[in-house]
Amino acid sequence: MSVAPTPVAASAAATGAPATGGLTLTGVTKRFGAFVAVDDLSLHIPEGSFFALLGASGCGKTTTLRMVAGLEEPTTGAITLGGADITRMRPYQRPVNTVFQSYALFPHMTVEQNVAFGLQQRKVKRAEIKPAVQAMLDLVQLADYGHRRPAQLSGGQQQRVALARALVNHPQVLLLDEPLGALDLKLRRQMQIELKRIQTEVGLTFVHVTHDQEEAMTMADTVAVMNAGRIEQLGPPTEIYEFPASAFVANFLGQSNLLTAQAQGPSGADVAVEAYGSRFAVPAARSRITSGPAHLGVRPEKLHVTTEVVPEGHNAVPGVITDSSYVGVSTQYLVRAPWGDELAVFAPNSGTGGPLHPGTEVTVHWHPAHSFLLSAESGAETAAEPV
Amino acid sequence: MRSSSRKPLSPEAKALLDVMPTRRGLLRGVAAGGALALTGGALAACGAKGKNPTAATSSAAKVCATPDVSASERKLVFSNWVEYMDTDEKNAKKHPTLDGFKAKTGIEVTYREDINDNDEFYGKIRTQLTECQAIEPDVVVFTDWMAAKLIKANQVAKFEPTKVANFQKNLAPSLKARAFDPEMVYAAPWQSGFTGIGYNAKIVKTPVKSIDELLTRADLKGKVSVMTELNDTMGLILLSLGKDPANFTAADYDAAIDKLKKAVDSGQIRRVAGNDYLTDLAKGDVGACIGWSGDVIATGADDENVKYVIPEEGQMYWSDNMLIPITSTHASNAMALIDYYYDPKVAAELAAWVNYICPVAGAKEAMKDIDPELVEDSFIFPTDAELSKAHAFMTLADDVRKDYERKFRAVIGA
Amino acid sequence: MSAVVTTPAGTAGGDTYEPPPEPVAGAKRRWWVPYVQLFPGGLWLVIFFALPVALLAQSTLWDPAGSLENGYELTWRWQNFSDGISTYSDQFLRSLGYALVATILCLIIGYPLAYAIALKAGRWRNLMLIGVIAPFFTSFLVRTLAWKTILSDHGWVMDVLRMTPFFGPDDRLLATPAAVIAGLTYNFVPFMVLPLYASLGKLDPRLLEAAGDLYAHPIKSFFRVTLPLSMPGVVGGTLMTFIPAAGDYINAELLGSPATTMIGNVIQSQYLRVGDIPVAAALSFTLMAGILILVAIYVAVSGTDEVV
Repeated sequence: MSVAPTPVAASAAATGAPATGGLTLTGVTKRFGAFVAVDDLSLHIPEGSFFALLGASGCGKTTTLRMVAGLEEPTTGAITLGGADITRMRPYQRPVNTVFQSYALFPHMTVEQNVAFGLQQRKVKRAEIKPAVQAMLDLVQLADYGHRRPAQLSGGQQQRVALARALVNHPQVLLLDEPLGALDLKLRRQMQIELKRIQTEVGLTFVHVTHDQEEAMTMADTVAVMNAGRIEQLGPPTEIYEFPASAFVANFLGQSNLLTAQAQGPSGADVAVEAYGSRFAVPAARSRITSGPAHLGVRPEKLHVTTEVVPEGHNAVPGVITDSSYVGVSTQYLVRAPWGDELAVFAPNSGTGGPLHPGTEVTVHWHPAHSFLLSAESGAETAAEPV
Repeated sequence: MRSSSRKPLSPEAKALLDVMPTRRGLLRGVAAGGALALTGGALAACGAKGKNPTAATSSAAKVCATPDVSASERKLVFSNWVEYMDTDEKNAKKHPTLDGFKAKTGIEVTYREDINDNDEFYGKIRTQLTECQAIEPDVVVFTDWMAAKLIKANQVAKFEPTKVANFQKNLAPSLKARAFDPEMVYAAPWQSGFTGIGYNAKIVKTPVKSIDELLTRADLKGKVSVMTELNDTMGLILLSLGKDPANFTAADYDAAIDKLKKAVDSGQIRRVAGNDYLTDLAKGDVGACIGWSGDVIATGADDENVKYVIPEEGQMYWSDNMLIPITSTHASNAMALIDYYYDPKVAAELAAWVNYICPVAGAKEAMKDIDPELVEDSFIFPTDAELSKAHAFMTLADDVRKDYERKFRAVIGA
Repeated sequence: MSAVVTTPAGTAGGDTYEPPPEPVAGAKRRWWVPYVQLFPGGLWLVIFFALPVALLAQSTLWDPAGSLENGYELTWRWQNFSDGISTYSDQFLRSLGYALVATILCLIIGYPLAYAIALKAGRWRNLMLIGVIAPFFTSFLVRTLAWKTILSDHGWVMDVLRMTPFFGPDDRLLATPAAVIAGLTYNFVPFMVLPLYASLGKLDPRLLEAAGDLYAHPIKSFFRVTLPLSMPGVVGGTLMTFIPAAGDYINAELLGSPATTMIGNVIQSQYLRVGDIPVAAALSFTLMAGILILVAIYVAVSGTDEVV
């Protein structure tokens, strides 16, 4: 039901049909005293999509999730699920389940009892519970662990129990609150793939809260980047990465070189940009503005360093290498531009030529289609430091 | 508790003082549960320490040889019941008669009010006395039956007649030739008292005149308390059966127990009270009770509804006695103290403060100089007619007392 | 462990950290070391527990014909037990009954209180805890005496109760089982609240959120999550209440009547008044053993070891 106005619509939902079902937040605000945790948030999550809320801690993403779960009540605004208003419903009345960051498994129950809990509360027939639980344990590959207690399981296993406990209820929306945060890196990668597999298998709507941009990009169809209680940008991971909407997004999602610039109006298919006395071009399709103070952005991996000739049509900046880190798959350089700022450059280890040493005078260049132009009005100050 | 007519404690404070040592003395681990059982056992075990349990049981009591250092140490420790000594109006720690003793003899008295209960205090000193080990007090005060028990167990020092001449001369005639101390060489009465009926006229509209009424009158049902001391309660019930408490048979006792049992089973008796009976009476939770003359009269002075009655059947007459423990190393000092209190002037001074019967002949005359109003007070100086209605409780052999005590406890629930 | 160490000792300063090899269990340590380490605790137990219990056990079998003055004879008189139990079975049963009722009342009163303090009190928590503990600053006796005043025939509680149809002018609370149980309940409620508080304080509120998220009504959450997880506190609290309540005699002495005496009163009077040490010891021992058996059954049934 798309009755509610959806100013920010997920453009590439998995089903492509936001009309039926789905979760809609309309003008949702949550205040804790004077602090505004979520600020007039409107959002539509289509049924069946894997949606990620990405942001630094304190950005309001978890509060948003808890409001959907019913664990917090919005100060103003409405939440509808499949067309039904659930804003004031108690948590136990909502067809929503959560995988908590701490898992919150019941320590006094076995794995089976944990998984069966929700079904029992909904008065599902005993004869139906057992096979449902077993099927779910099979799905999360814990078929043989049913009689153990949570304390006897590893972190990854506990995480999967938490997932099974929520999934077995076939909620209209499954909420995942940093579910992989407690796992080590290797296990986290493994679980990311597994979660994605399960989501595809069961076809439920997943809303995943995370501060890990890589996790969000790996798993989600649609990512919403949140900052200070608002959504900065919403879209498929590629779109957000390739063409960030703000300096915050450009730096929160991956790393960006942002040059303080002045947009000087359209020039053919491009927008002409002037920065530090040099002139650059950015394709109009990759420009958020055409005039005024701007940030010219290029991802480090889109930059090339050369001591030789710059290819035709590339934008170029001269500089001196100040730091060079060889990390195997690539070499990361810092190049000081004439105006004093340093540009980050990731040069892939394609096997041609060795790493350049600090002190080398180089030219940094990029294809204009790889750059983007952002308004300098907002966001730059709060942008996260490049990782 | 022997309370004073001059400075009565609040009922709560009094009740507290009364019950506390009992609790302190025995089963300390009330809050610690199982410890209760343990402590009892440990005490029991300690009590038999040094005995060979398999040894023959009879006449194990030793005769202790204790040196008397009175000549070099001019001091003694006096353990007495609470509120049983004249006290300076301004300074509760000053006792004029004791100061007089110091002035007269130069003997320093450490006065302690640490006796609240015969059994409980004896429980504290019993083991040491049995083992001839020194205890601190050089003078202790016990009621007749307990005094008799100590005398029989060779646990008190014999007076030297020359050192207690006043006592032997001035002891009230009614207290001479008592069965447990016919020669007046072991126990010197400190004060005497009656046990009779106390009632609260606010609760009980018709005066309670007899023990029979107390145990059977319908309007008193559930409002009566009797005392935990066997002599007091059983003595009066024996009197109500027309028996002489000073000379009764086991069958008489059993009949008295039956009478008590009827009153307990019918619900007539609400409580078997320790020294806190007076609080219940003053508050009106108890309408009528068995009580001690001095206590009830003192309370009556503050609350006119509280009255003491000499039961028609008669009342019990008892004394609390000064004894010198066998292990005392200041026996001569102690005898000097005893003799001092048998100076009629001193006795009158004490009697004017403590509201009990003065056991010293000649004190009545001495009282004329101190407080003429009290001369005719029959609860300090009873007439012969009143004394004739008063009865002592017979001295019982240890095993008989144990048996009687057991029967008594069984009826009152514990 | 040494098999794990693959790098030669000389390269220890190199790249990876190797933990120092643990001493091989049992080989180098002297066999007697654990016993020496246990000695102080063991000695303490022997002096303050085993020995008194043994002495108590022995005194239960003395011939009651003796006395403390004349000594007792150990005649292995098992009859002391049967005598004591048969004579005072009423008081035994009464003690257990009163203690049970008081314990249940303590649980009913204490659980919501502990729950409120642990989970709802917020910044009032410490104040409320002090409130629970504060009665300990006055003597047990004073507190019980206060109840005598509260429940007095002429006190306000009775005045109020007499306005109801259930109490006639001659009915009373003082010197009834109700008064004794009320006193026990009052005196031991902190012993119930504190273990419950400790247990509920450890409860992760996120588990309750999870239960709610899994369709459990708050009442259901309580019975499926909160209560099972607080079972160690419930078991601890009920034991801490029941055991001392069953052995108490102060409440029965001050608030009761001859018809409400408990076994503690009997032990006290047998020891102090009658002077029948063997029977007093036998009663103490029976009480102790009885409580131990009840506790063992209770703990086994409630299965506390299973609960985290």
